[in-house]
Amino acid sequence: MSGEEFESDMEYSDDDCCYEDYYNIEEDCDAEQLDPSKTDPEYFLYECLTVEEVERLLNESVEILSNTLQITPSLAKVLLHAHEWAIQDIIVKYRGDSCKLLVMSKIKPPHPPESVASRHLRHQVCPVCVASQSSDMFSSLACGHLFCKDCWTMHFEVQITQGISTGIGCMAQECEVLAPEDFVLTLLSRPSTRDKYQQFAFRDYVKSHPQLRFCPGPNCQVVIRAKEPWAKRAICNLCRTAFCFRCGTDYHAPTDCATIKKWLTKCADDSETANYISAHTKDVSLSDVNDCPRCHICIEKNGGCNHMQCYNCKHDFCWMCLGDWKSHGSEYYECSRYKENPSIAHESVHAQAREALKKYLHYYERWENHSKSLKLEEQTLQKIKTRINKKVMNASGTWIDWQYLLDAASLLAKCRYTLQYTYPYAYYMEPGPRKELFEYQQAQLEIEIENLSWKIERAETTDRGDLQNQMDIAEKRRATLLKDFLEV
Amino acid sequence: MAATRRLQKELADIRTSGMKSFRDIQVDESNILTWQGLIVPDNPPYNKGAFRIEINFPAEYPFKPPKINFKTKIYHPNIDEKGQVCLPIISAENWKPATKTDQVIQALVALVNDPEPEHPLRADLAEEYLKDRKKFVKNAEEFTKKHSEKRPSD
Repeated sequence: MSGEEFESDMEYSDDDCCYEDYYNIEEDCDAEQLDPSKTDPEYFLYECLTVEEVERLLNESVEILSNTLQITPSLAKVLLHAHEWAIQDIIVKYRGDSCKLLVMSKIKPPHPPESVASRHLRHQVCPVCVASQSSDMFSSLACGHLFCKDCWTMHFEVQITQGISTGIGCMAQECEVLAPEDFVLTLLSRPSTRDKYQQFAFRDYVKSHPQLRFCPGPNCQVVIRAKEPWAKRAICNLCRTAFCFRCGTDYHAPTDCATIKKWLTKCADDSETANYISAHTKDVSLSDVNDCPRCHICIEKNGGCNHMQCYNCKHDFCWMCLGDWKSHGSEYYECSRYKENPSIAHESVHAQAREALKKYLHYYERWENHSKSLKLEEQTLQKIKTRINKKVMNASGTWIDWQYLLDAASLLAKCRYTLQYTYPYAYYMEPGPRKELFEYQQAQLEIEIENLSWKIERAETTDRGDLQNQMDIAEKRRATLLKDFLEV
Repeated sequence: MAATRRLQKELADIRTSGMKSFRDIQVDESNILTWQGLIVPDNPPYNKGAFRIEINFPAEYPFKPPKINFKTKIYHPNIDEKGQVCLPIISAENWKPATKTDQVIQALVALVNDPEPEHPLRADLAEEYLKDRKKFVKNAEEFTKKHSEKRPSD
């Protein structure tokens, strides 16, 4: 109701001058604004598929290719696997120079095999097991290297136990020709080995397919399909794992795949150092206990919000920098910005190393702190649920009345998650106007998140409208930052 | 067992071919899966001595590659203090069942004669080899004199 009123207010104020054209203009605009692919920087179209659905999808491609080029499905699979399942591309190349394509795909050898006289002999010696056997016991790939069938089978079995399937090659030294599926399967008799081969081949096909990704969730069989391999968030509909579609790790916007990898490697290498230094220095805090900067009473952080209020002296301060919360101001949140030493280039190597560590620690502490806050806010969510139950039991409002608190908590988690991933981005940014803009927006987001966290933790005393407003502001800040800096 | 038949053939072939750079091959009659032999390099700084190696063949040979270990200490960027050597031809990814042991040994001798500092096992020696060749050769020669075995006289 209030929403409608608000909207119609807007319409009137917008259309004061050009009343008649209202419908014609606005309709188009509205349609555009509603298209989430344009308005939401995190919008991502994907579908979750079962193994059977993926097999059907892959088989369709195989069938199209084998029908179009009049080749065996097995050969079509090798070609598709070698060319990222780009059917049209393969068809064009095959019609252009099929021989070159087959050599490139490691189906044919670069040089045609010499016609070996021994082919016509009754008996010959297998180079692998050095046993003499009748010629009909031998077979070869397109390269013409003859080996006895027992050795081929043994070779396949050993390769499959090592997890290799589509990569199984000829047994000859320096021969790169690959064994296609039909060649392998005719020589493999044990059902368990055949199953394994097909499982591994399926895995290889999915991995080589640019539109497909295995869900990284533990023991999850779901395959996610997206037309564009963007670095956006996909959520598995079975195990609910959220991940970056491009690199398969935890979703990391606004940081890109390469940067987050660099950051996580750095953190894995340096975290011990960082933890040690943090634990043994007074002015930084990654532990959950701190002294109130004014009355020095011991305070344990038991929620996600970094805006702290001392229960003893009511002093408001920031958990990160221990500064007065008021000085953070409502407009500018300085705590997230790292101030580089401008004369660092003239300092000694030792001082530069110390400065580099200081810079890293600044970002690492904030990264780590937000990650901890996220965990603490999970506890807050549990507390909210208990509180809602109590309220409902005491007949102060119905269950429905209090659902907005859960929405607020999940929005807070979403915002804090993005905020956490702004720190690796900022760490690797070159100093300059773009970094300044980024850190400005990051600061804006940070303060709104802390405000939201503060209000959620004190939901009973906070007005619902006020909270809803705060949610709106925080999400807008998050969206703005992503719109300006998310590159996929 | 396929491994036994093939190894007997390979051993006989190597012994009759009379390889100059791999000599004094000793194989225990009861266990053909372990060979010992003497690598006799031609290039300085290793041409002042000989180096004993052990080749271990797995039961699945020739479908899985053999492993090679140096029993004699050697000052070499591609061979570590424990005697382990990084030889691409016998790595699991590159291994081919049709590869013969004499090809493996030839690849090993070539690596000993001409170190590959691009993918070292001992980064310190690779760096010395690239940056101060004189010092490397001097150290390697002294090390060879001190630790290596006598070269066969013929």
